[in-house]
Amino acid sequence: MKHTIREIFHSPKFLVGFSIFMFILLVVIFYPLFVTAEPLEIIGKGTFFEPGIYVNVYDGVNSKQYTLNLDDAAEKRIASKLGDQERLDMQEWLLSFGIPEEEIDIYDTEKLIELWENNYDRSIRFPGMTSARQKYFGRLNTSLAGLLSTEGIVLAAENQETGELESTGIIEQTNYLNVGQVANVRVLPLGTDNFGRDMLTELVSATGTSLKIGFIAGSIATMIGLTLGLLAGYIGGWVDDIIMFFTNLFTVIPSIVLLILISYSIGQEQRGAVTVAVVIGFTSWVWTTRAVRAQVISLRHRDHVNLSKLSGHSVGHIIVHDILPYIASYVVMAFILQISSGILAEAGLSILGLGPKTTDVPTLGLMMNWAMIYSAHIMGKWWAYFPVIVVIALVSFSMNLMNTGLDQVFNPALRE
Amino acid sequence: MKKRILLILSLVLILSMFLAACQPETQEAVQEAVEEVAEEVEEAVEEVEEEVAEEVEEEVAEETEEAAAAGPDLDPAEVAASLPREETVYIAGLQWSAVVGWNPYSSANNNAMGIAAGSNARVPIFETPYMYNMINGEQIPLLADGPWTWNDDMTEITFTLKDAAMWSDGTPVTAEDVAYTWATHVKYETTAGVGYGDYIDNVEAMDDKTVVVKAKLDEDGNAINPLLLKAYVSSEYVVQKAWTEILEARAGNDATALKEDPALDFVSSGPYTKFYDDDQKVVYIRDDNYWGQDASMWGALPVPKYLAHTIYADNNAGFLALKAGEVDVSQQFNANVQDLWLVDNLPISTWMEEAPYGLTASLPTAYFNLESFGLDNIAVRKAIAYAVDYDTIIANAMTNQSPTFDQVPRSVMNPTAGEQALYDQEAVADLQWVGNDIEGANAILDEAGIVDTDGDGWRELDGQKLSYNAVCPNGWSDWQAAMEIVAAAGEKIGIEITTLYPEWGVYQTVFVNGDQQEYDIFMVWSDGAGPTQPWGRVRQLMYGQFAETQGNWNGNWGGYINPRIDEIVNEIPSVTDQDRLVELYTEATEIYLTDIPSFTLMYRPDQFYTVNETIWTNYPSAEDGRNIPPMNLLDGFSIAGLYELELVNP
Repeated sequence: MKHTIREIFHSPKFLVGFSIFMFILLVVIFYPLFVTAEPLEIIGKGTFFEPGIYVNVYDGVNSKQYTLNLDDAAEKRIASKLGDQERLDMQEWLLSFGIPEEEIDIYDTEKLIELWENNYDRSIRFPGMTSARQKYFGRLNTSLAGLLSTEGIVLAAENQETGELESTGIIEQTNYLNVGQVANVRVLPLGTDNFGRDMLTELVSATGTSLKIGFIAGSIATMIGLTLGLLAGYIGGWVDDIIMFFTNLFTVIPSIVLLILISYSIGQEQRGAVTVAVVIGFTSWVWTTRAVRAQVISLRHRDHVNLSKLSGHSVGHIIVHDILPYIASYVVMAFILQISSGILAEAGLSILGLGPKTTDVPTLGLMMNWAMIYSAHIMGKWWAYFPVIVVIALVSFSMNLMNTGLDQVFNPALRE
Repeated sequence: MKKRILLILSLVLILSMFLAACQPETQEAVQEAVEEVAEEVEEAVEEVEEEVAEEVEEEVAEETEEAAAAGPDLDPAEVAASLPREETVYIAGLQWSAVVGWNPYSSANNNAMGIAAGSNARVPIFETPYMYNMINGEQIPLLADGPWTWNDDMTEITFTLKDAAMWSDGTPVTAEDVAYTWATHVKYETTAGVGYGDYIDNVEAMDDKTVVVKAKLDEDGNAINPLLLKAYVSSEYVVQKAWTEILEARAGNDATALKEDPALDFVSSGPYTKFYDDDQKVVYIRDDNYWGQDASMWGALPVPKYLAHTIYADNNAGFLALKAGEVDVSQQFNANVQDLWLVDNLPISTWMEEAPYGLTASLPTAYFNLESFGLDNIAVRKAIAYAVDYDTIIANAMTNQSPTFDQVPRSVMNPTAGEQALYDQEAVADLQWVGNDIEGANAILDEAGIVDTDGDGWRELDGQKLSYNAVCPNGWSDWQAAMEIVAAAGEKIGIEITTLYPEWGVYQTVFVNGDQQEYDIFMVWSDGAGPTQPWGRVRQLMYGQFAETQGNWNGNWGGYINPRIDEIVNEIPSVTDQDRLVELYTEATEIYLTDIPSFTLMYRPDQFYTVNETIWTNYPSAEDGRNIPPMNLLDGFSIAGLYELELVNP
């Protein structure tokens, strides 16, 4: 036993797969200890906030200010509003307005803005200009307001008694703050989803749920498959016939169809994560049964089995002591694959809207489902779906890798 | 040699696929890309051995022949397969499966681009005497000539028809047609016949062109509901008498057969008619003999020759097509629509540039099923309604495409100025709530003695745990997201609420039954803008006669009963005094906000309206002062937009 385990861990494929899987598992276990936020709590008012560090503006204004004199600060400030494209667009508008081309120097910011401010009129729509374009120029104009100002921004607070604004301070353009000193900073490494939930926290929690679903589904499928396979293979005869009759029946019907039908008929109200896992388990035992049966049939007439029979051991005893150990490695491998396919099945069901009901727990499939409903993939909100795909891929990749590694150890034909 | 050619050809193929995937922003870009590919194909072809070259050339020649032959006289199917883009307006978000029929007496045509009677009747094919303009509530003459008039005791509406008004077969539209249409509605018990039957006594032709709509009278000799007479003239189509008789003969005067007839031979009066339809798309073609080009109506034909609607698999497919410029007018809820111009820089606009982007007119509302355990208790209803975070629903579920309840405080009115002026806002200010008031909601429940007695985190009423489902149809994404937020509110106040999204096919068979026990908190739309509003909405929200009825498509789905509301609903239609009207509406609002039989979750446009200016421009918008409502360029006065369109590159 010790030897086998050592051998397994010498297989590089198994090791890589195992490390990835353990990493994911450890993150799932330890992340909630550090980040205690509710995974389904709606924190953002608005959809799909980009990944980044969110600094509380109110606290920022009130925290300690430092003065840094950086030469390129003004330049950067202007460039963020007035890039090359914007300059060209301004030129286009001014040309249409009738300003001679030689008077427009798009790289002289001051002159350009002056020229713009003197001429631009929001209500003008040149022939051939779409109203979308007209609105674009309006927005551009708004964003240019005060761009060249060197004054600071005056902070004011409302006087409780008179209701008038009273100046409380000035933020100069050279003022900086240290993020570490701001009371409220929330890091959203993966932004938020369409509900305004913290994607990373939700993703970790969903991975946990999905692993659980995979584990339950895999255990059920493997248990059923193993039991039926052993019985059919060892006892044979009419028992084999009956079991194989049902197995063949299930083989012919694609399991995804069964899954969809069963999930649909259960109704969403009853579909918790565990229910879905059980349904997946009960529809995916078929090939384990067939494979185990085939193995058992080849073992059935081995000498040690016959010897055991002659010794008067019961059927149960023989199966457990003389057959099971020989196919254990195979069963472990099948189990791993069943977990992986269970996770994928949940994702598939949820994308169709047939997964667990959404209020209870996040799952990977549900996250994909909602990202799709809110067109994240069309609007380029990659953080709402891509990390989910990566996690699903990593989980099933690591499991398949472990499986291949085990196969190399256990299967003499593949041994290097 | 052959290998090299294969290599070149596959490179060309990859290049063209790549170029196609790049979604070129302008027509020129496409042209360039195509030209580039064509050049390279030519180069490649030259290198190919003679016989291969001949084959390719033959194929190319065949294809060109086919393309060149696609003239206007050809089979509609072929034309529809490649409509001239510069003569076609593509609409999306109305038609989700194949057309069933063209029968103006049927309510099951599934022909949403063309045939939809109602407050803002869709008028590209069949026409109504008047067009409703939801912006200002005006009824603008279409088939009718000039405004209609009441008689002195408000029991009859009289209007005349335009002399120019013609059917597509060249015969004039007469008063007899209008009268016979009504008679047919009544005789065969169509939706319109049943809906208006209690209020309209008869529609009569006084002479060739003069029509009188007569109200049913109550014991005192007053019209039972003058509002519905007013609505009738802009809501229901006029159908030709001669053709109706053909239809009747074909149906053997049988009501079911008449309503099920697909009516492929229909005669209509509108500017467009059937051209082609299958399960992929629906295409209407302009009738160049349309009577409306007469100076007494539009003075011109509508600009686009074809109106087309591709049948998309789902919202996302339609959204992608809009982004790609394949759709000109989209009636879909597109989440974060502002990103299309702010981030993607596409020539796409909505009715307004800033949130809420559209002209909101309807009030998607969550009804409490008063038969569910605990929901007959006003404290429970109130607590749930107070706890829901409406700002988050509007910001997240609706992506800000609705004004907030701060901007438009809740009442029974939609956000339009006309309706907002119909109630005394001061008087009900104390009753209105903005939401996300968890403390307030908990206090209400504690006070009512509804507390968690067994320590499981959920409150009990008379020892029974309060547990509800929040239901809306599957795939209605903004509603689903809203229900999630309602459920989240439940958790915060110790009332278990889980979401449930049945398919629409199932949903619509359950919520319409007055005695259903399956849905506890469920969402239904509300009436938008129309000639009978806001009276129609008050009735829809609370009218006692709708409670407990089966197959109820009228309203009050929660089963709320309050005799005072019924009195108000019965009184309003005949009130002409503005002050009295405000008094009654204010009282109705008070009752609604006190008893909370249902609660509005957001405001929503009657029709979403997003336009793409890749091909067409000069679409109606809020800023242009033309007063053309944002209703797909099809509904009511919105059709005026079709006469105003211009090509971006003429």
